[in-house]
Amino acid sequence: MKSVSELTDFYYKTLYPKLQTLEKERAQVRFRVLLSSAFIALLALFIFGMLLKNDVVSFDAVVFLSFVSFGIISFVAKLLLQDYTKAFKQEIIKPLIHAIDPQLNYLENNHLEQRKFEASTLFGTPDRLSGNDHISGNIEGVPIEFSDIHAEKKHKDSKGRTSWSTLFRGLYIITEFPKTFHGTTVVLPDTAQKTFGDLLGGWFQSKNIARGELVKMDDPAFEKEFVVYASDQIEARYILSHTLMEKILQLKNKSGHNVYLSFKENRLYIAIYYGKDLFEPTLFSSLLDYKVAMEYIKTLSMTLGLVEELKLNQKLWSKR
Amino acid sequence: MPTSLIVLAVIVVVLVFMYNSLVSKKNQVENIFAGVDAVLKKRYDLIPNLVASVSKYMEHEKSLLEQVTKLRAEANKPNVSEHQKIELDAKVTSALGSIMIAVENYPELKANENVIHLQRSLSEIEEQIAAARRAYNQAVTDYNNAIEMIPTNIMASAMRYTRKEVFEIPESQRQNVDVKELFK
Repeated sequence: MKSVSELTDFYYKTLYPKLQTLEKERAQVRFRVLLSSAFIALLALFIFGMLLKNDVVSFDAVVFLSFVSFGIISFVAKLLLQDYTKAFKQEIIKPLIHAIDPQLNYLENNHLEQRKFEASTLFGTPDRLSGNDHISGNIEGVPIEFSDIHAEKKHKDSKGRTSWSTLFRGLYIITEFPKTFHGTTVVLPDTAQKTFGDLLGGWFQSKNIARGELVKMDDPAFEKEFVVYASDQIEARYILSHTLMEKILQLKNKSGHNVYLSFKENRLYIAIYYGKDLFEPTLFSSLLDYKVAMEYIKTLSMTLGLVEELKLNQKLWSKR
Repeated sequence: MPTSLIVLAVIVVVLVFMYNSLVSKKNQVENIFAGVDAVLKKRYDLIPNLVASVSKYMEHEKSLLEQVTKLRAEANKPNVSEHQKIELDAKVTSALGSIMIAVENYPELKANENVIHLQRSLSEIEEQIAAARRAYNQAVTDYNNAIEMIPTNIMASAMRYTRKEVFEIPESQRQNVDVKELFK
């Protein structure tokens, strides 16, 4: 697999002409977005002035007006960005993925099926699932697929108003785990122990019955960041060897975000909670900006490097 | 006197809670030991096959092979205590390790399909045993903590619960292999 520095070279050398064209397009799109936003904002102000003149202005009206104009602005911006986004994904993200491995499939508008999202049991059942940038294929003979996912839950309050809360937003990865196991083991970020300390937090953790048995791991650094629940104490430790625990900790530090893992039916599900849509073009900062480029490159190379990093390609003798 | 009744009720509830938690910790240890036993047995089952395949070649290591066979016979006896099983496991682990190192000296063995298969199976089982040992040690630590810490220690001594032994994890398994170190 290509290294990050090789990919950076590829980005700035091979993709440079396309980046320049896209930069021009970005300037145009940004101008149009700003112009239309200003126009809509002025229109809203005008309506507000009219209301003020006729003395019918109320707090509700102001809220409603700003809400509607914000909605129109984001809708218009999305329309204006459509072509630019499509061009960016086809001409930058796709070649970048193929530079890592030409056999990989990339579908910019697809995302992982809900069935696969639910199979991990990490985030429960979402009422709405969206996403994009579906990448799939084999790395060193190990199947891997991932996409951006935004999973939401619907809530209804007593007045019948609906609202949506986010269950998960970020990168969702499915791959194969080389060891044979029968139960379910989940690794979650440790929030209880961090908030309430070892003793009380530990007690809260042990009361989370829905997740299965609490498994205390014998790696203090890992145990501090994560909490493990499993259907079988021995199996959980068979899966989570000392090496793997160290690698999971490294993955968390490398991504800089919360990491969730689930080992189920010989699959490994990894969810990295970025809290935003990844692989999207920037509007207000340059695509040639080193920081912007590094985010695309590092995320891709980290995700596709997982097979090697977690040694998922080292099949056991009995599974060959 | 309702206050004293309430106090009494609280004491009873606390005692029951302590008793139950001790029993569940003891049962957890036993439960996991059954799992340890199962994987240990899997390894013992491989020993006759291994001895049969290598004994033809290994003239100098006859005593080692005899020792492993003897250990296996001991482990398979009825009424072996947990403590003895832990001791036997340590001996078998080191004896099998020596045999595996000795195999390296016999080119015919190293190339033997059957021996290669046995070696792989053993290292796979070894990994499962390592996991089982870790699970057992954690359960024993929880149990030992409970019988030594205040206030459960009083209850535990009344119940005649005594400390249990943990598996010694060999230093080689505890450390992660650092490739950089190997080539220094």
